[in-house]
Amino acid sequence: MLVSYNWLKDYLDVTVDPADLAETITRTGIEIETLEHPQEGLKKIVVGHVLSLKNHEDSDHLRVAQVDVGEEEPYQIVCGAPNIAEDQYVIVALPNSRIAGNEKIKKGKLRGVVSQGMICGLQEIGFSDSVVPEEVKDGIYVFEDAIAPGTEVYEALGMDDYILDFDITPNRADTLSMEGAAYEVGAILSQNPNLKIPEVSEDSQSFDSQVKVSLDLDESAVSNYRLRYLTDVNIAKSPLWMQTRLMNAGTRPVNNVVDALQYAMIEMGQPLAAFDADKIEGDLQVRFAKSGETIQLKDQDPIELGTEDIVIADNQKILALGGVVTSTAAEVDEKTTSLVLQSAIYDGALVRKSAQRHGVRTDSSARFEKGINWDNTQKAIDYLAQLIAENGQAKVLAGTKVIRDTQKSPVVIDITTARINHVLGTELSTADIIAIFERLQFGVVAEGDTLSVSVPARRFDISIDADLVEEVARLYGYDNLPTVLPVVEQTIGGYDRQQQALNKARDLLVGFGLDETINYSLTTHDKAISFVKEAKDVIALDWPMTKEHEVLRQNLVSGLLDSAVYNAARKQTDLRLFEQGRVFSQENGQNQEVDHIAGLYAGQNRPNNWQNDVKNFDFYEVKGQVEAFLKAMGFTKATSYVAEPIKGMHPTRTAAIYYGDQYVGFVGQIDPRELPKTKLKEVYAFELDMETLLSIDVEPTVSKEAPKYPAIKRDLSLLVDEAITNSQITSVIDENGGKHLRDVQVFDVYSGDKLEVGKQSIAYQLTFQDFAQTLKDDSVNKAIEAITQALTSELNISVR
Amino acid sequence: MSVFDHIQTLKDQGLTQIKEANDLDTLNNIRVNLTGKKGELTKVLRSMKDLSNEERPKVGQVVNEVRDLFATEIDNKKEQLQQAELEAQMQKEAIDVTLPGKESYLGSHHLINIVRQDIEEFCVSLGYQVITGPEVESDHYNFEMMNIPKNHPARDMQDTFYVDATHEHLMRSQTSPVQARTLEKHDFSKSPLKMISPGKVYRRDDDDATHSHQFNQLEGLVIDENITMAHLKGTLQAIAQHVFGEDREIRLRPSYFPFTEPSVEVDVTCFACGGKGCSTCKSTGWIEVLGAGMVHPNVLENAGVDSQKYGGFAFGLGLDRFAILKYGVSDIRDFYLNDVRFLEQFRQEAK
Repeated sequence: MLVSYNWLKDYLDVTVDPADLAETITRTGIEIETLEHPQEGLKKIVVGHVLSLKNHEDSDHLRVAQVDVGEEEPYQIVCGAPNIAEDQYVIVALPNSRIAGNEKIKKGKLRGVVSQGMICGLQEIGFSDSVVPEEVKDGIYVFEDAIAPGTEVYEALGMDDYILDFDITPNRADTLSMEGAAYEVGAILSQNPNLKIPEVSEDSQSFDSQVKVSLDLDESAVSNYRLRYLTDVNIAKSPLWMQTRLMNAGTRPVNNVVDALQYAMIEMGQPLAAFDADKIEGDLQVRFAKSGETIQLKDQDPIELGTEDIVIADNQKILALGGVVTSTAAEVDEKTTSLVLQSAIYDGALVRKSAQRHGVRTDSSARFEKGINWDNTQKAIDYLAQLIAENGQAKVLAGTKVIRDTQKSPVVIDITTARINHVLGTELSTADIIAIFERLQFGVVAEGDTLSVSVPARRFDISIDADLVEEVARLYGYDNLPTVLPVVEQTIGGYDRQQQALNKARDLLVGFGLDETINYSLTTHDKAISFVKEAKDVIALDWPMTKEHEVLRQNLVSGLLDSAVYNAARKQTDLRLFEQGRVFSQENGQNQEVDHIAGLYAGQNRPNNWQNDVKNFDFYEVKGQVEAFLKAMGFTKATSYVAEPIKGMHPTRTAAIYYGDQYVGFVGQIDPRELPKTKLKEVYAFELDMETLLSIDVEPTVSKEAPKYPAIKRDLSLLVDEAITNSQITSVIDENGGKHLRDVQVFDVYSGDKLEVGKQSIAYQLTFQDFAQTLKDDSVNKAIEAITQALTSELNISVR
Repeated sequence: MSVFDHIQTLKDQGLTQIKEANDLDTLNNIRVNLTGKKGELTKVLRSMKDLSNEERPKVGQVVNEVRDLFATEIDNKKEQLQQAELEAQMQKEAIDVTLPGKESYLGSHHLINIVRQDIEEFCVSLGYQVITGPEVESDHYNFEMMNIPKNHPARDMQDTFYVDATHEHLMRSQTSPVQARTLEKHDFSKSPLKMISPGKVYRRDDDDATHSHQFNQLEGLVIDENITMAHLKGTLQAIAQHVFGEDREIRLRPSYFPFTEPSVEVDVTCFACGGKGCSTCKSTGWIEVLGAGMVHPNVLENAGVDSQKYGGFAFGLGLDRFAILKYGVSDIRDFYLNDVRFLEQFRQEAK
């Protein structure tokens, strides 16, 4: 809401500097988004009187004007505007003036003819296209009345004003009017606003049978409905003062009826409507639209209405969508002579839905949605009638046709001084608090420290004692509240077990040299169900904004891959990325979300160095990171890696990871077909289901002494069929190694020319140790013997 | 020349030779010459058969003393020469220590999480529990319980992603539903409630430099019998000073949130200019950092908490916004595009 500083002076004795006022309002009530002074930056812009006009000899559209600008001699100004004419009073930017955009106007020549300045349109001195009257939109501005040439234009055009942009929160719709703003500023300045009381001089003829009304909606839909009737209207322009106030409020002046509707609404907050009485056929009906009915708005295709749209109709057509907009069917035009004026209150939710459904948000619908002062319907229609009568020489027929006038029960809230101090942490006295309510023009009856506060209907945002506490707090001043930490019974803060573990998990991967990323939870359908063992039902948006973000991810790797591709496109191809975040799915109609962690590796395993000790990441390096991660997280036992297909992963270079029988994730190379058109070659990734992992009971760590007796290491070099896997071999070793076998490590794998086809050689180092005594060679020999026999008999392996 | 004089001469000469030996080989030869089986001292002992019975033990004693002296001196000299040899060896091993080290990859935490954990840990130190909740929420917890019934104009402030046709479930538009869930469960007869809840939230916004359809909030809630707005101010001041610097001040401005009454926007003195006014704070000296207020009685009553007995404050802050303000990030999309050159700036410990 654009609030004019000068307009406020109609109600209040405002002397405070506009910038200071803006700051005070921001701190006390409503944020002032911007403060504008329209004439700021303008210089030497005056009224000129066009004395004579002749065509430019060298141009078919330019004309040369002699303009009286209050100097002894007229100025010669070349002008290209089509609407310039002799005897006009116009806006002249003199030589060395500044117009909008800090543009300097100099004396110059236009096609050889001297021009001493420029005759301006409103846009050229800073008015927005959206508020400039249509008839002067494409040319120069012409004053209706004579103004002494040489006078600065600012005051006449309202540019000497200051415009405060009230950024109104949804609860403070009471300030969506000049009256509301006056009450607010009055409370801040401790002044009683002096509001206008409409004075309608009614004709002797009364308003009775000219229009018949049928109101077919209940009080919840239409709580107030009243009409006035005007005749002998003379449609013309509004006076300049009204036009400039409207423009400063962000509204385009049209004519004396449309402008009065706007002006009265801005002043009193009540949306109003006017119909051309001669265009109404039959009775006025206020009802829900019937299906199939349409409304015709200006310059638009007809809009089809629904049965929850409140409409004003006559016997033939729809005149208005209630609370939202009037149609062209009975709109006021230059031939209009009789008017039906309407002041009504509609249900905010119905208006909101209508406006939303048909994509027509108006100043009127916004007010109904947010709330209206029920006490102003008669006053506003009287004021409207008065304005049109004054500006259009119209006759106001006697009386208002009040079809419905539902009264709101007055709001009285009891509150105690103690309660207010209890919530605010203050020590205000009852008198302090009463003084604040009086500044707000609220009624207060005090009994001891209990206050009965009567809230006027215009403050429809206030209904409970907490609302009153806020009024006291803001007017007392938040700066005046004490600043202390809470004193309460000691509470135990902290993270829960899962949060702690996830924090540790993230720290570990950062320690491994990975960069933490955050990717979007919403992705494409394909990406959402990639990189999983089995896709589940997806959670999809009901109404996505884009294809890129329409389904919730079931994996983290696809997001990491998006990030990797983004980096590769920027020539960053050595990547180590991870993310800890949630994945989402539906199971049996229930939404599920679980925490995962995933990593992605591409390019070199360490930065370039002059010792050239660098390799590309491969499966085993990445698997090693996963193994180290799981070990550090406490999952040391019973983890197994099984070659299994994972969607989107390389078919023969991917392992599913199990903890016992429980699938917990995967590690492997991303299927190269998932990397279209990127510079990335081999990309590796892992993803682990942290929710499942953290649900596993891990044995607590119990301290053991460091071994006192020496270990014995033995190497076993095995010749095996290529089809046999390491895990088959180690499980045979584990089963047959006896109780002192502590560790089995692969230290070499070889296949090649020196071996027969289909064979490979794997070398293991076995570590034996007895924690109770020095181990004898003998017992190790026995164990090795047992292992060798088992390998031979079970896997047909020969020990070399 | 008596045998004693001879020994004395041997002793003097020997000590000089040892002293003058320049390398281990020479020293070894000297040792063999002096104390070896065919050495001079041995020769003296062998010649003892010619001596009287009286002299013999005396000579033996002197020879042994000299032999011990030689041994000690030779050991010392040997130690000396070995040290010198090692010294020389290490001189030969000289390297250019100014050549670069073999770099390891240094991982980086995401800036949003750095900011989040910093605030979390501070709040934990004040006795707050960290509580998380679902990102796919019900309309009930996200809106209804937070005093935002259907058709409430405030729903316009948070245009929402729904995940079903009936609009019963949605991507949470705020972290506040975790408040409602916790209020329902908390036993106020046992202890006050002090909680924070961080996490992702989602709104129907087109992604651009200042908007993101996914961002992060951190919500705080303190409920007990005697919590005041003064406590809110104290708490927010402590958090602002922790995050933005000890000299920071805060101020409250009236605002509106459906779940608090009174509601305030909180500004902190500009950390770019210290409050004098600059481009960062648009010459106001203040920067808006978060929203807060006293919990609306409807929110308490909706969760079954007696609003006459219990009350308190809540605050909610945007972690993306905090990171943007504190680190001067110019585009919110940087947080979700994950350009490693952006991410890796935040590797070093910094406050």
